[in-house]
Amino acid sequence: MNSISGLPLTTIVTFLPALGALVVAFSPGSKPNMARWLALGFALVTWVVSLAMLAGFVATQGGTQYNEAYAWVPAFGISYHVGLDGLSMVLVVLTTTLSWISILASFLPIQTRVKEYMISFLMLEVGMTGVFVAQDLFLFYIFWELVLVPMYLIIGIWGGKNRIYATIKFVLYTLVGSLLMLVAILATAFTYAQTTGSWDGAFDVQKLIAFAGQGHLNGTFGFFAFGAFALAFAIKVPMFPFHTWLPDAHVEAPTAGSVILAGVLLKLGGYGFIRFAIPLFPEAAHTWAPVIIVLSLIGIIYGAIVALVQPDLKKLVAYSSVSHMGFVTLGIFVFQEQGLQGAILQMVNHGLITGALFLLVGVIYERTHDRTIAKMGGLGGVVPVYSAALGFFVFASVGLPGLSGFVGEFLTLVGTFKAIPAAAVVATFVMILAAGYLLWMFQRVAFGELSDFLKGLGHHLTDMKPIEAMTVVPLGALVVIFGLFPGLILNLIQGSVQVMLVAAGVKL
Amino acid sequence: MSFADAVTLAPFIAAVLVAAAIILVDFALPGRKVPALAAAFIGLGVTALLVVMTGQSGATAFNGSYRVDALTTFLDILFICIAALTIAFAPDYLEERGLPVAEFAAVLVFAMSGAMLIAGSADLLVLFLGLELMVLPGYVLAGYHKNDGFSTEGAIKYFLLGSFSSAIFLFGLAFVWGLTGTTRIDGVASVLTQIVTGKAPLSPALGMGLAFLTTGVAFKIAAVPFHYWTPDAYQGSPTPVTGYLSVGPKIGAFALIIRLFATALGPLAPEWNIVIIVLAALTMTLGNLVALTQDNVKRMLAYSSIAHTGYMLVGFAAFGAGKIQGLEGLLYYGAAYSFMNLGAFAVIAAIQKRPGVTSNLSTFAGLMRREPALGVLMALFLLSLTGIPPTAGFFGKFYVILAAVQAGGWITALALLAVLNAAVAAFYYLRVVVYMFMREPDTEIPVSRHGRLVWAGLAVSTVLTLALGLFPGVLLDLVNTAAKAIG
Repeated sequence: MNSISGLPLTTIVTFLPALGALVVAFSPGSKPNMARWLALGFALVTWVVSLAMLAGFVATQGGTQYNEAYAWVPAFGISYHVGLDGLSMVLVVLTTTLSWISILASFLPIQTRVKEYMISFLMLEVGMTGVFVAQDLFLFYIFWELVLVPMYLIIGIWGGKNRIYATIKFVLYTLVGSLLMLVAILATAFTYAQTTGSWDGAFDVQKLIAFAGQGHLNGTFGFFAFGAFALAFAIKVPMFPFHTWLPDAHVEAPTAGSVILAGVLLKLGGYGFIRFAIPLFPEAAHTWAPVIIVLSLIGIIYGAIVALVQPDLKKLVAYSSVSHMGFVTLGIFVFQEQGLQGAILQMVNHGLITGALFLLVGVIYERTHDRTIAKMGGLGGVVPVYSAALGFFVFASVGLPGLSGFVGEFLTLVGTFKAIPAAAVVATFVMILAAGYLLWMFQRVAFGELSDFLKGLGHHLTDMKPIEAMTVVPLGALVVIFGLFPGLILNLIQGSVQVMLVAAGVKL
Repeated sequence: MSFADAVTLAPFIAAVLVAAAIILVDFALPGRKVPALAAAFIGLGVTALLVVMTGQSGATAFNGSYRVDALTTFLDILFICIAALTIAFAPDYLEERGLPVAEFAAVLVFAMSGAMLIAGSADLLVLFLGLELMVLPGYVLAGYHKNDGFSTEGAIKYFLLGSFSSAIFLFGLAFVWGLTGTTRIDGVASVLTQIVTGKAPLSPALGMGLAFLTTGVAFKIAAVPFHYWTPDAYQGSPTPVTGYLSVGPKIGAFALIIRLFATALGPLAPEWNIVIIVLAALTMTLGNLVALTQDNVKRMLAYSSIAHTGYMLVGFAAFGAGKIQGLEGLLYYGAAYSFMNLGAFAVIAAIQKRPGVTSNLSTFAGLMRREPALGVLMALFLLSLTGIPPTAGFFGKFYVILAAVQAGGWITALALLAVLNAAVAAFYYLRVVVYMFMREPDTEIPVSRHGRLVWAGLAVSTVLTLALGLFPGVLLDLVNTAAKAIG
């Protein structure tokens, strides 16, 4: 437990939204506004708690902080063990931030079954935060699956026309990966129990990593177990060729669902690689690395090319996610300090920037009920504030120096260049493509004459409302801050980066 | 029968007396359900108390043909819970259709007493007696809606195949008796040990006997390819009965498998375990694949129950390979499956309360709007059946798979097959959730009121489904001691 307080802060930050969900559940169904404000209130309080934890976080200290551990199923050495290291801390704050923003962004678009929506969203937050703080594989798995159900409902109930197809595809893809991971988790725990002669600590992440450090999880077993973990995480990231659920899910999901999907859910995959797959099976990670690097490169290129030809705004952003997340896996698997730092930064930045882009797509969709790029045009003259915001995040996504997107990609490329120059060259080339599809999209949407379609909307085409601006302004501010001072994040994650590199057997 | 025998046998005697008492109460106060139900619940409570009081003693009765150990206690309590929940769910449904409640409860308690007899049997003949006492009332229950054609059809199919498989099973028992010269379970085991260690000749007849026995029990647990009676029997039966049939006789038959294969035929484990592995693989895969194509939820759950048999067999295969965790997993899974499946069927029965409402998927459309409480509970039970944490179904799968991974070899492959099957199963379980949460009904279905007993039963199933997922510790201790009685 951290010295600054005697409160079980990790548990509070994880389960406060669950309490919120319970309160919302008992609020009168006839008052949707009450459900909205209650949900926002709980999300904000959770956010404040996470910020307090961030303030009390000792960056120089390695290992996890705010630890809480209680025996849960002693027969198998399963414990309720939560705690945060720098990486978890960053991602938890990202989660709590995007959660309240998403809830706020749902005030206007979500008009049916508001109560159930808010309950789903708060439960989603519990699952996501839980994944980042769990220090026990069993607990991690529970949170990992807990994420699935609310997201399934959010896409399936409040989504677009093809929502049921999209949501079932999302669930089945994820479930196949995670169930195979479950077998790998059990096999790992059993190997530990068999070797040490006791189940004590068989699911504890730190003990298992130490155990793996002695080379017990190498060889054929490690090869397959890593494969199972990697598949689960690769589907979540998503890596080419496991990405096909993503465009469907994004296009059908309500705006806030897309924000969380891009902002946090995809990060679960990257986090899983860094926290579990690589430290537990370092030897296998090196064996598999060439495959993953090649797939990442394909994903980076493929995502960019497909994004280039997308007629639909949301789909374009979705495919750009595939491309951007390719940088994350690339940066992780070059086993290089800058590469890993870049990957983590990229995870955070992608969450902020793509989250904001989805919000902005949602704003225009609210007015036009259409997302076809070809029907847009000349928005700049009519809705200047909106266009400026869109332009800002487009440039951030392209990787304009000074904004946060640049730092992550730059560090990733530096790391990659040190390890595999050819891969870095390919990836850098794609950054030009990224500039292409994003700027071209922005040009078609914002510049030129006002299109006939938009003219037809008349006075319905209003500029951003204050409530909508409130959702993107914080993200924009963070993009600038992290662009100018990436050290804020880098300092926090330094300990985690070292730990992973040491576990992966990289000489620093 | 000495007094000591009577004490050992007390729970079983009590169960039979409870069934008789229900009939007597109904005879004295005809057509009134409250006294009969009160007699049933009080009686079951007393029986449970007796089970706990006489339990874990290791005492034997009737020259060792009946034995009470920790496994008996565990299973008895489980059977009593199943019976009590079924009796709680049934009256609403039965009364709407003009079917008598008291007789239903009495027949059900008779079936339960049979299952209890299996759980405590230490002799092949007692085992068979228990089996018949368990399944015969089952045939009656399946055909309980006697002026409904489907119910009668299902009951006849169930009866014909059931008696057929009983005969095969008995034939197998005869072989074993002929070759070993004893019907005592431990006696059989010791003779077989001698045969296996080479002190006595191994005969082809023993192989035949083993094959007959396996076939017989495979019918009873509805393992593929001996499952054909299941869908019709399940779909045709009145819904509360379906819930019971999918759970009670199944767990009972697993009790029989444990007593027979694990103990009596234990020395032959390497021989029969290959069959178990194949049966497990076929059962879960085929059950799931066929369930995918069903539009009737009852029929779908019938096939899904076949798939769950497969998962439980995975645990048993791990036990056959020498891992006691396999048996523990099987018992845990059995308990978890009982509560979540009974819960799911209780919701279906509640929805179908009004006669004429089908159990097609379309009935479930918009349930969340119509009856949100039932919708949420059904979703919970279905998620548990899928194996999503933190529910009982997840921990059951966790346990079984853990055991399979420990056993290694082909059984690890079985574990992989099991999780892939679980992903397939997610599709059809979630399809019901899609209908409940995400679709609107074509025709308006009126909301019905449900009795307090139904809600109480649902509350118990819900609490257990969640508790067995969140706090598995308590039940873990119980299945540990229960499994130790065998291993």
